[in-house]
Amino acid sequence: MREIDAIVGAVGREPGDLIAILQAIQQRYHYLPDAALRRIPEITTILPSVVLGVATFYPTFRLQPSGRHRVCVCHGTACHVKGSEQVQQAVERHLKIETGRDTDASGAYTVERVACVGCCTLAPVVVIDSSVYGRVTAPGTAAMFRDFEARGADAGLDDVVDAARDWLPGVPEIRIGVGSCCIAGGSLKLRESMVAALRARRIQANIRAVGCVGMCHQTPMVEVVWPGADGDTRSRPSALTGGRMSAGAGARAAVFSCVQPGDAERIVRQAFPPRGLLVRAGSAVRVTLDRMLEGPGGGAAPSRLDVREEPVCSFLGKQIRIATESCGQLDPLDIDAYARAGGFEALHAALGDLGPGETLDRIQASGLRGRGGAGFPTAVKWAATRGAAGDLKYIVCNGDEGDPGAFMNRMILESYPYRVLEGMAIAAWCIGAREGILYVRAEYPLAVLRMREAVARMEASGLLGGGLSGGRGLLRVRVQEGAGAFVCGEETALIASLEGRRGMPRLRPPYPATQGLWGRPTSVNNVETLALVPWIIRHGPEAFARLGTAHSKGTKVFALTGKVRRGGLIEVPMGITLREIVEEIGGGVAEGRTFKAVQIGGPSGGCLPASLCHLPVDYAALSGAGAIMGSGGMVVMDDRDCMVDVARYFLRFTQDQSCGQCTFCRVGTRRMLDILNRLCAGQGQPDDLEKLEALAAKVKSGSLCGLGQTAPNPVLTTLRYFREEYEAHIRGRCPAGKCAALIRYVVTEKCIGCTICAQQCPADAIAPVPYRRHEIDAQACTRCDVCRQACPVDAIEVREAACTR
Amino acid sequence: MHTLTLDGRPVSMPEGSTILEAARRLGIAIPTLCHRDGLPPGTSCMVCVVEIDQSNRLVPACAYPVRTGLVVRTDTPSVRDARRAAVELLMGEHAGDCEGLCRRGCPAGMNIPLMIRQLAAGRTAEALETVRRDIALPAVLGHICPAPCEKVCRRARLDQPVSICLLKRFSADHGPAAPVRVAPDSGRRVAIVGAGPAGLAAAFYLGLLGHACVVFDDQPEPGGALRRDVPIDRLPRAVLDREIEVIRGLGVSFRSGIRIGRDLTLADLRGAHDAVILTVGAADAAQAAALGLPASPQGLQADSHTFATPVPGLFAAGGAVHPLKMAIRACAEGKACAEACDMYLKRGQPAAVPRRFNSVVSKLTDTELRDARSQVSEGARVDPAAGVPGGFTAAEAVAEAKRCLRCDCRKSEACGLRAAVETLGADARRYVEQERQPVEVLRHSNGLLFEPGKCIKCGVCIRLARQHPEVPGLDFAKRGFQMRVSPPVGETMATALGGVAAAVVAACPTGALAWDEGEEKPGLAPDENRGAAG
Repeated sequence: MREIDAIVGAVGREPGDLIAILQAIQQRYHYLPDAALRRIPEITTILPSVVLGVATFYPTFRLQPSGRHRVCVCHGTACHVKGSEQVQQAVERHLKIETGRDTDASGAYTVERVACVGCCTLAPVVVIDSSVYGRVTAPGTAAMFRDFEARGADAGLDDVVDAARDWLPGVPEIRIGVGSCCIAGGSLKLRESMVAALRARRIQANIRAVGCVGMCHQTPMVEVVWPGADGDTRSRPSALTGGRMSAGAGARAAVFSCVQPGDAERIVRQAFPPRGLLVRAGSAVRVTLDRMLEGPGGGAAPSRLDVREEPVCSFLGKQIRIATESCGQLDPLDIDAYARAGGFEALHAALGDLGPGETLDRIQASGLRGRGGAGFPTAVKWAATRGAAGDLKYIVCNGDEGDPGAFMNRMILESYPYRVLEGMAIAAWCIGAREGILYVRAEYPLAVLRMREAVARMEASGLLGGGLSGGRGLLRVRVQEGAGAFVCGEETALIASLEGRRGMPRLRPPYPATQGLWGRPTSVNNVETLALVPWIIRHGPEAFARLGTAHSKGTKVFALTGKVRRGGLIEVPMGITLREIVEEIGGGVAEGRTFKAVQIGGPSGGCLPASLCHLPVDYAALSGAGAIMGSGGMVVMDDRDCMVDVARYFLRFTQDQSCGQCTFCRVGTRRMLDILNRLCAGQGQPDDLEKLEALAAKVKSGSLCGLGQTAPNPVLTTLRYFREEYEAHIRGRCPAGKCAALIRYVVTEKCIGCTICAQQCPADAIAPVPYRRHEIDAQACTRCDVCRQACPVDAIEVREAACTR
Repeated sequence: MHTLTLDGRPVSMPEGSTILEAARRLGIAIPTLCHRDGLPPGTSCMVCVVEIDQSNRLVPACAYPVRTGLVVRTDTPSVRDARRAAVELLMGEHAGDCEGLCRRGCPAGMNIPLMIRQLAAGRTAEALETVRRDIALPAVLGHICPAPCEKVCRRARLDQPVSICLLKRFSADHGPAAPVRVAPDSGRRVAIVGAGPAGLAAAFYLGLLGHACVVFDDQPEPGGALRRDVPIDRLPRAVLDREIEVIRGLGVSFRSGIRIGRDLTLADLRGAHDAVILTVGAADAAQAAALGLPASPQGLQADSHTFATPVPGLFAAGGAVHPLKMAIRACAEGKACAEACDMYLKRGQPAAVPRRFNSVVSKLTDTELRDARSQVSEGARVDPAAGVPGGFTAAEAVAEAKRCLRCDCRKSEACGLRAAVETLGADARRYVEQERQPVEVLRHSNGLLFEPGKCIKCGVCIRLARQHPEVPGLDFAKRGFQMRVSPPVGETMATALGGVAAAVVAACPTGALAWDEGEEKPGLAPDENRGAAG
């Protein structure tokens, strides 16, 4: 109890502090003990009834004790299409977790299903405590736990805020990605071994941590940059993203991808050959080509990328960097580096000559629309808050990126914290807000950490902090962690959450612009929107408006994931076609597979068939086709993806994330899911499709907030474009071979009788018969896919099962 | 002030008003379940949706603020569809019975659970009042009814059904001889032909309604088949005589030994009375012809709801219309016919009392049944020490009454959801899935019931309690489909609501929060008891 009192004392006693209090308690106990929940209202101004309501609303919070380690199996879209369900089963099997429980008998591990950890390019992903495991397979589960247990205590994230150390001029610079994907791939360890390798060979080099390059399919990446004539490497763009290596004479760079910590030695040897060799190699960019571009990271030797090589060019060539400007070059927390790259120029201009009115005019002229999904014109939103009555106004940055399959905001927050804050300060200046809140998902610990640090450093530099500078008030920003509710992406729900309440949206109007946080005028803006603002001010609205289509200007950041060869974080001009993104940037689907559909906009968006991929990235074009621009999740699907299953996947998500307030969303989405579950189980009724369609229309028109109004989109678009697949399910068939109840596994004549499948099968459905073709007992088989993944000769195939109905 | 248009009519409202308030000012009814004046809007049930502006956007009227130029449509096909769908979805997650199985099984629809509760509380007079609301001959039927109600009693699945019929007889034997509430003389006269159970029942209810009735019968004494066919050991004639006396006490006169068609003509009767009811028992085509009436293969031709024959002011009910096996059914028809006849007398048109919608929960699981039993007397069925003919003693009646599982909804009359299903014409089963919410009754020591399965998550209780800082109050726990109303950690619903409980129970639009003893005031018209919807 004394501990609870201390926590409350440290966090605060006001209603708005409740979520932070609960987070602190959970941090300490790994769950929320009853006694703590009872204590809170006794020592705060928080109502007793509210505490349980809030504690049970947000998925982050647990009310039951948990195991010593927390195993989060990610069920983001990318993970789902890559088999997260099978991973979940495998994890539960490995830990021998009983049905209906989430913790193993010894109390060591608690397994949770999480919506999305935002490491989609590594799918399927499992996070154990803070260790991220990517590309997990069902057969590889045991190895993952062995690795975790061998690893012992974690390095922790503290390491990554420690930015630019002493910098030596005139020596090469080694850039190591420290985005979450890179860290998940081991980039922190890599940095250690790189330091050791350099030291061992007495090579002088600056090691610099840089933000995400977006080529998440190649992580971790290392770039070596040799100094040019000026001897300074720091302002040199990344070879990958700064474009075409046109930097000054003598400028050289080499990029290594899929690097493992053990590769440090080899990279140093390759990049820093004995002096004579280097001369012979010539001065131009000379990079050995390695054709393993699409290869998975694990174990393979690091690949050296040539930026002129076709796949790399395709990935990078069509991209335009605005929100992700200076990508791969900036140390995320190096405030000087940000300033050298033009950072804060826009803020100074806005605060100086431009003034709020002119700044707002520029945003207006740029045609910028909110990047959170709905695409509301940013200038209109700001003007409404600016014009609202009242002295106290708030600017809120919405970093509650909850869509499964999306990690744009995570990457921007992790890699460009100053840019977001600069945009926020400009917005605040325009609307007349002195208080700012940056709401970031707690699932993005690195983003939280870096934003907090960036706020502190900007305060130290006199750019933020609430004081006065040059007679003008400075924005005071605080970072608040979300608690894992997707619906809090809706602005009124986000505000409820900031006020320490359940994240229940409310009817708009009144809009937050006039009645927002604590009843004051509030402007809620998406991370990416704010990150675009400094560039617009710096380069002029015309430059921004030149990009894109008639009503969709500038660029859009997408998280390109799923069954695409080159997944990653991309920034493309509006108006680019979906096909260009999928085929050229993403390199299409894997060899032998067919590109079937692309899912845009996550749970609120839609599945567009390959035949519609001539559509441009444009708000109107996408919504006309039944999808939405959304916040930028783009999941590519191939012929092995079942569209009914995908619709069910999204509906399960929205249904689970529904706040429960209004009838249409609470019950309607549930009943839609019931129908989809029936279909996937082969128990569909002939009139189910009509029922589903009618109900979807009602949920869309009758729901209170955007979550419910858009929740039917994935269902409606798949019904519209893939109706025959639904009809097949009613007849008991799953053409894509995905729905467990409608498929069977068979061993083909390719079987070499190695018995590996039999050994791995958790259901004992395969009898080991050495040197003979194995057989799968369809009755015993649980369709866990372990055998297919384990088979060394691809002798196990999925076939349609005759429906048992 | 803002001037807006509702269904084409302009209205000016002050700043901060809602569409719902504007509609009220114009007298336009908008149904709602989750709105209560004085509380912040719930925007939960979405039954109050209206269409605004040129778009077909649907918004909840309870919260949408008025503004000048706003165009609102409250009665379009899409509005009606959405309202109906909202109610259908609410019913899709509803787990609860409006009425007890026994009542649904009773041909007369007697409120058996209420009678049993009144007996369990020792309120025998009220119990008899309850019986008499639907059964004119409680003592007679207490002896001879085959008790279809007991066949469907949920308790039968655990041990034996509650002894409903004997409890009814106990109320008849020990309750007041005469009914309490009799309407003043209406000045209207009704002739009833046939003094069997249907005729007696019709006379009883018409008498209660203040109409002067004369019952004609060709037998020497009234009673019809009850007196003629039922063995004396099953129905002592004194019991029958006593109940006929009760009816006589209502001003009903009996003219025995008169046969219509022989001693008097139907025309005579119609000439001397405002209405005539034929309850002559089994009638064949020849009898019909004798009366000059059309016949169906079963008997006299009459509307199955209003009992009206093709002749204005002439009604036929009971065995005269179709063969009946049970006296209770004849009794029920007598009552229904009396009600239709009453409507005819008052409005010139016969009308049946509409049958109410009944929510029916699918078969309870064994666990649910055991839970239900654990909250009531778990003892075996009480056999009267005096034997079945003797009936229960007072103590036995109370003990037996306490075995009732109380399946009925305590707010079946007041329930806004039930009313909304009826007024919006909702198909309550459209969104019902096989897997339903559990039937769960949380019973508190102060008599407060909380049934999560009946909760529509409207949050009225939460919002109301929050206006009373002196009590801990409630909130939703969890979210989405799993969401439910919950007291704070360490509290029960009763302690969390404290002194606000009564107000909260009254405000709850369904039976989710109710008093175990029920709250219907006997004798009130349904709409006086009903909640906000409709």
